[in-house]
Amino acid sequence: MKKGASENSRIFFLLTALLLILLLFLGLALGSVSVSLREILHALSDPNAQTANDVIIRSVRLPRVLAGLLTGAGLGAAGAILQAVLNNSLASSNTIGVNSGAGFFVMLSMLIFPKNPAAKSFMAFLGALVTVLFILCLAYYAERSRVTIILAGITVSSFLTAAMNLIKTLDDSIVINSLSFSIGSLAGVTMSSIAYPAPGILLAILIASLLGKALNIMNLGDGTAMSLGLNAGFFRIIYVLLASLLAGCVVSYSGLIGFVGLIVPHVCRYFVGHDARVLIPASALLGSVFVLTADLAGRVLFAPYELPVGIILSLSGAPFFLYLLLKKGGRRVNA
Amino acid sequence: MLEFRNADISVGRTGILEDINVSFEKGKITSLVGPNGSGKTTLLQSLNGLSCVKGGEILLEGKDYLALPPKERAQSLSFFSQLRGGAPNISVRGLVEHGRFPYMGFSRHLSAEDREAMDRAMEFTGLTAEADRQVSELSGGMQQRAYLAMQLAQDCPYMVMDEPGNYLDLPGQRELERLILCLKEEGKTVIVVIHDLSKALRISDSIVVMDRRKIVGSGTPRELPESGLLQRVFDCRIRPVETEEGIRYLVE
Repeated sequence: MKKGASENSRIFFLLTALLLILLLFLGLALGSVSVSLREILHALSDPNAQTANDVIIRSVRLPRVLAGLLTGAGLGAAGAILQAVLNNSLASSNTIGVNSGAGFFVMLSMLIFPKNPAAKSFMAFLGALVTVLFILCLAYYAERSRVTIILAGITVSSFLTAAMNLIKTLDDSIVINSLSFSIGSLAGVTMSSIAYPAPGILLAILIASLLGKALNIMNLGDGTAMSLGLNAGFFRIIYVLLASLLAGCVVSYSGLIGFVGLIVPHVCRYFVGHDARVLIPASALLGSVFVLTADLAGRVLFAPYELPVGIILSLSGAPFFLYLLLKKGGRRVNA
Repeated sequence: MLEFRNADISVGRTGILEDINVSFEKGKITSLVGPNGSGKTTLLQSLNGLSCVKGGEILLEGKDYLALPPKERAQSLSFFSQLRGGAPNISVRGLVEHGRFPYMGFSRHLSAEDREAMDRAMEFTGLTAEADRQVSELSGGMQQRAYLAMQLAQDCPYMVMDEPGNYLDLPGQRELERLILCLKEEGKTVIVVIHDLSKALRISDSIVVMDRRKIVGSGTPRELPESGLLQRVFDCRIRPVETEEGIRYLVE
């Protein structure tokens, strides 16, 4: 059975990696203008080429597929981390309030520095961090059980969502911006808006995967973890910080994309099992596949109109998740 | 020797035990007995951090146990926990492998010694054939064995077990008893919470009695029934019975 499980993982990684490469290619090739493989290679290999297609590929589509890749990887990995660390299958960066914290701060920065996009990504990360620290403190004083973190997260999250709506109501000028922000969209992403988040996301995924053994042990409960020589409280904070780094980075350029962080780890667990060392990279990969597929569908299905990736993900994600719940009788889906 | 000195122990912010003084001798089997809610688990969980020591100290062979680095602690004292969350989604072998965590470096690579300890632990608990099954698929008793195997793989000189006999069937109980005696032969110190008094009297070198959040006494299985302490605390009668294997105690 063990051999079978690792065999499954190998096939899973191989297939999702192939799918990802295909999606990256399609993401560059398809859209309102279709481009051939040769044109793509031309645009990417020669930074001075200036035909219309070269410019579209380099400054519109490339940032967009890279952003999709990073968004999916970040949210997928964050979901896998949080579900394991809080031992709750409903956890994701949405649930513990990180997304809305980042969102609230981004909206604040739109209000205060309307002309400065760099402030946006910094504020998003700051918002994620401040929110998660606040929630950890709350949970700590309320005797830091895993349930308290989730409850505190949901409460803080709805408070911040209300605050975001308040800002929207008070200041009409950011309504247009904030609409695509609260739905979650990759349209209009530029290389400079992902320049800072990208290394943060990749690094956090790498660290979280390398520390996966600790996450596995924490799943045995704090007492057992402590008696095995692992400081569960300390590692819980490290993991929650890593997850908020991931979520903050993603929210800074893509807005509030829902569902990926919740669904992807469940799907992955079905194929690769519960070992965090495998599950985190698997969720990152499959998250990218989900987001890139949804973004591609949003661009192609109703061309020349475009649907934001957030809408596609929620529309297709929700029924898919319900299907999973029913098919597995809720048993294997439960973390 | 594991020694609690004037220990005040609380769970969360609620103080439960005050001024506890008790010691557990090295190389012996000590049973901790007491009615439900007498504070046994709270006392022992100060060793794995689930209850905290607010005053006094815990000494392990003279060293401040709580000040030891986590890995060193985990190499000297292992803990079999009575209360656990749901069954983890992990294979039996994976669970037993966790027992070797205190010995792993950052690469988490298993050495030959680790593998040997794991194999021995699974053999001892009769789980070799189930090594690749998921713990969550096993019955309560088999899960209990799997956790026991993890503790064995941890291979510590001090072993604390909080009601290890839960869910075990009669042969399982007997094997557990043999296992505990075997561990003592190997020179381990065993501290075990047992509800079955006649078993405690049969296998222990020493018995510590708790009642209403206090240590109310201790003694050898020979002394205790005569003192009448157990009879008072548990409201029972204890009759010694001569058998071929020596004196046994009938608890009614």
